[in-house]
Order: sequence, then structure tokens, then C-alpha cells
Amino acid sequence: MSALSFELKGKPDQRLDLSPLVPSRLKDLKPKEIEAIPIGTTREKLAVGDAFKVKGKDASMLQFVGTDARCDKIGAELKDGEIVVDGDAGAYLGAGMKGGSIEVKGSAGVLAGASMVRGRITIAGDAGERAGGILVGETLGMRGGVIAIGGNAGPMVGERMRRGLVVVNGDAGDYAGGRMVAGTILFKRGVGRCAGFGLRRGSLIFLEQPKEILPTFGDCGVLEFDYLRLLERSFRDAGSAVRLGDRARRLMGDMSVLGKGEMLILA
Amino acid sequence: MVRGYGAGPCRSGVPAACLPADDYSLAMSELKIKGVTIVETFAEAFPMVGTRIIITAPSLEWALIAARTMTGFATSVIACGAEAGIERTLSPDETLDGRPGVAVLLFTMDSEKLQRQLRNRVGQCVLTSPGSACFAGLEGEKKLKLGASLRFFGDGWQMSKMVAGRRFWRIPVMDGEFLCEATTGLTKKAVGGGNLLVLGKSHAAVLAACERAVRAIDEVEGVITPFPGGIVRSGSKVGSKYKGQIASTNDAYCPTLKAAVNTELPLDVEAVMEIVIDGLTKESIAKAMRCGIHAIAEGGSAQGVTHITAGNYGGNLGPHHFHLKEIIA
Repeated sequence: MSALSFELKGKPDQRLDLSPLVPSRLKDLKPKEIEAIPIGTTREKLAVGDAFKVKGKDASMLQFVGTDARCDKIGAELKDGEIVVDGDAGAYLGAGMKGGSIEVKGSAGVLAGASMVRGRITIAGDAGERAGGILVGETLGMRGGVIAIGGNAGPMVGERMRRGLVVVNGDAGDYAGGRMVAGTILFKRGVGRCAGFGLRRGSLIFLEQPKEILPTFGDCGVLEFDYLRLLERSFRDAGSAVRLGDRARRLMGDMSVLGKGEMLILA
Repeated sequence: MVRGYGAGPCRSGVPAACLPADDYSLAMSELKIKGVTIVETFAEAFPMVGTRIIITAPSLEWALIAARTMTGFATSVIACGAEAGIERTLSPDETLDGRPGVAVLLFTMDSEKLQRQLRNRVGQCVLTSPGSACFAGLEGEKKLKLGASLRFFGDGWQMSKMVAGRRFWRIPVMDGEFLCEATTGLTKKAVGGGNLLVLGKSHAAVLAACERAVRAIDEVEGVITPFPGGIVRSGSKVGSKYKGQIASTNDAYCPTLKAAVNTELPLDVEAVMEIVIDGLTKESIAKAMRCGIHAIAEGGSAQGVTHITAGNYGGNLGPHHFHLKEIIA
């Protein structure tokens, strides 16, 4: 069976809430029932059939084609299955997701993977502010799973993150890993100001020396970490080779809060 | 007999006391490999709980040091609390952290004891070993705490990390960090007490044959031979004339007592040695026994080995019976 696909007919005149379009909610619906699902966010009613051409049958694999930055909440609360976005994604991509995988071939808006629990989000382009961060009404940000950002990440990536892994292949904005409780963020390139601000626990791993380090981080010197070998092996097994080696400068902080977090700057 | 002290065969076989060597074959089965008689009997083995862990280190030498220390004094559950041994060495490609490693198997009679032995042995022998790390080696139907109990050594400075869906603990120590997986698997399908008894005309011949067998068994996945060098020279029987002594020498197999006891040995047998095998499955025990028998018989009777037999309790105690005749078929 071919994947159930949603091809955007044209630029919508309002933001779309695509959170109903997840495998668990679509699996038992007929095509006409799917086309009748409301996805509008204004007083003007809008259904799936108004905005998208719907094709295919396999609801465990969804494909969005031609989407743009106004298509919000793609894969939000996703429990299982696979979603491929052939275009950009708006805000709240995979927010609160609990399983499955989302692949975005373009860029994503703010709060991608915010407060997600499990699963994997891959964004080929850039991610907006607070990727892996905290949703309104939640006490914690990302609580598990993996977010891989191919391009740049906006400010406050991993805000109040509790568990999981975020990989930023491009540059990251200010306050990266801000208020993190635990978890791991790997920065392959530069970061903005105040990385690790309010870091309680958790690991910020830098392939490049950050331009600015908060004075509330204390230096432990260059040391050997078996954990880095383990992480490198896990990347290799997942098909994305990253050379981490086993030596890094360890800075502990943020001493203005709990101070049990770390920056590992690869040596 | 008490298993773990080195099980020996029961006295239910045909009495052969003081029979001339030539006549002994009449009392035994005629099944032979290269002139070595395979006695038609069976090894009686018991259910155990077992686990596997992987120890890595900066070099294979240091991984082996940690593994040997951890598996020291672990020949028998009777007095050691556990039976443990090195299953095999691992190349850097086979380990999670890309360093040389060693796979260790640990067995006890119940899960609670296994948990205690694992914690104490890894805590005292692997955590303490320079540069070591410790990982789960078995999926298992249930989990045993590994780093999840050792983490408290970190005194609050330990860090938990989830990598590829598995939890690890980073515990700060004086040479850096001890990386330890949170849990390892446990199997209740393990089997302990598979065994082979080797009879021969000289001590040297029996020892050489047993050494060959242990080397062959080392190649089998999922088994260990927990006794020194894999070989037991002091098989035991249950009880003793002395009060409080739960096991004592298996006099029926002591060559120096042939004339005084109801011996199982022909007159020309000078030494008997035993190989005890513990495994994660009964299939692995059977395979190990088969490899062992063929390795023992490799030199043939010309090299001094006369009989291969096995220890049992008459079949009434252990649910696993490994019949030598079926095993070599």
C-alpha cells in the first residue's frame, strides 16, 4: 500500500493545525472522513479536503507534500508510524510526540519536538526557536527521543530539556541548553551567547570551542571520556558518523544553579 | 555428591571393584571413540539463573585482569556464592565503546543471590580496575541492577545517560569515570552441572586430555568451566562420616582407595578428573559436552585415556539429563 499523502493545493490564507493528521487517528477513517477533518485556526472553517489533495491508503506512513511554514503541529502527539514532510513545517512540529518518526526535508518553525517523550525528528534545514524546548503548560522540555537538525537551530534549543539527544549540525542561537535539567545536546558548529545558562544537569558537547563561556562554569581540564566513545559508536550504528574521539575539556556548571551539568569541548 | 565441589557419578553403575583391567569393559558399554570407552550413562544437571556482562578496558590485558578478579573464587555456589568464568574475549569491533573486552558469565541458584553476587563482584573487582567499563551482555527475560546499584558510589556526582535507548551511569573515580550500563539481563533457563569424568592410565594423560577438552569447550558460546583451568580433581559425594561436613571426597573414584572401598575404577586407572560446565541454555551445555568428549578422545586410548563417563544422582534430583550416547550421536 502507498503512503497516505497530503499535497497542499495552494498557499493557505490561515495557519493550519495539522495535529489531527497522525496515524493513530487516521487508521480507521475512510477518505471522505479524512477530508472532512477540520484543520483551520480561524473563524473561517477549513477542512483537510479544502487545503490538501489526499491520496494513498497506508495510514501508518503519512506524507505531506508542498507544505510551508504555516502548517503547524505536524506530528504533534504522534504515538507511532512515520511522517515525511516534503517541504517546510510550521510551529510545534512533533510537539509532545511519544513515538514514531518525523522527517522534514525543509525547515521547521518554533518549538519543534517541544516536550516530546520518545521518537525521532529529523530536520534537514533549520529549526526555529526552542527546538526540544518546553511547551506552554508543561514543566519540562524534551523528555526523550532524538532531534537531528541539519541546519541552524534558533535560540534556546533544548530549553528545560530533561532527557534525550539533540544534534545541531549548523550554528545554534543564544541560550543553547538554557535551564536544561538533563539530556545531551551535540553542537557541531558555533553557538550564540550564554550557552548552558541555568544548566542543572546534562551535557553540552561542542565540536568547536564556543566563543563565549559563562563565568559560572568551572574548568576540570582535558580528560578522557569513555562516554564519548559510546556516543560515537551509537551515531555510527544509527548511520550518521560523527568523530568525537575520547578526550574533551570538561567545564562544570551552571554554578549559579545546581552546577552538576557539563560542557564537553572536544580536544 | 554435591555439585559444585565437582560432581561425580553415583554408585548405581555396575560394581567393578577389583576387576582386572581387561574385564572392566564387560561392565561398561562397548561404545568407543578411538579406543576410549564412552560409558552409557548421563550427566545430571540443574536449573540455575545466569547473566552475562561485558567488561572493557584500555587493553585486553586489563580487561582480562578485571574479569579474572571478578570471577576468582567462583568455582562453586556451595562455598563461593556463585559460579563464574570468562566466556570469551571480544575485539574492539564487538564492544560498545570500541575497546577490547571480555564476556563474563555468572550463575547462582536464584535471582536474589545473583543480584547480590553481581553487585559485589562488579563493585569490588571491575569498578576498582583501572580504565574499566561494564556493559550488559544479555537481553534476558528480567533485569538485574548493574550500574543502577553501583551509581551510589558516585555520592551524588554520578550522571545518567541514555544512549540508543539504553541507560548508562557515569561514575566519577580517581582515574576519570567508570562507565557502567544500568542493568543487564537475567535468564532463568541457565543450566549448571553439566559434566564429564575422564579416566586414564596416567595423571599426565588425563590432565592433557582434560586440557584439550577445556580448550574445545572454550570455543562454545554461552558456557563456562568454572573450576581451576576448567578441571576438577576433587569430585565429591554428599555427606561425610564427620558431622557438619556436607561433602567429602568421592572415594569410589579415588585410585588410592581401590582396595578399600566399593570402587568404580579398574585396577589400571591412575587418575580421574572432571570437567564441570555451566551454560546459559541446556543446548549450549550439550554442545560443550560433545566438543569436550571428542577433544578428550582425540588422542585415542593409545595416549592413556581409558574411559569417559559422567556424574549423576540416579536421575532423581536434576531435571536435565545429558546422555553421553545421545550427545555424541
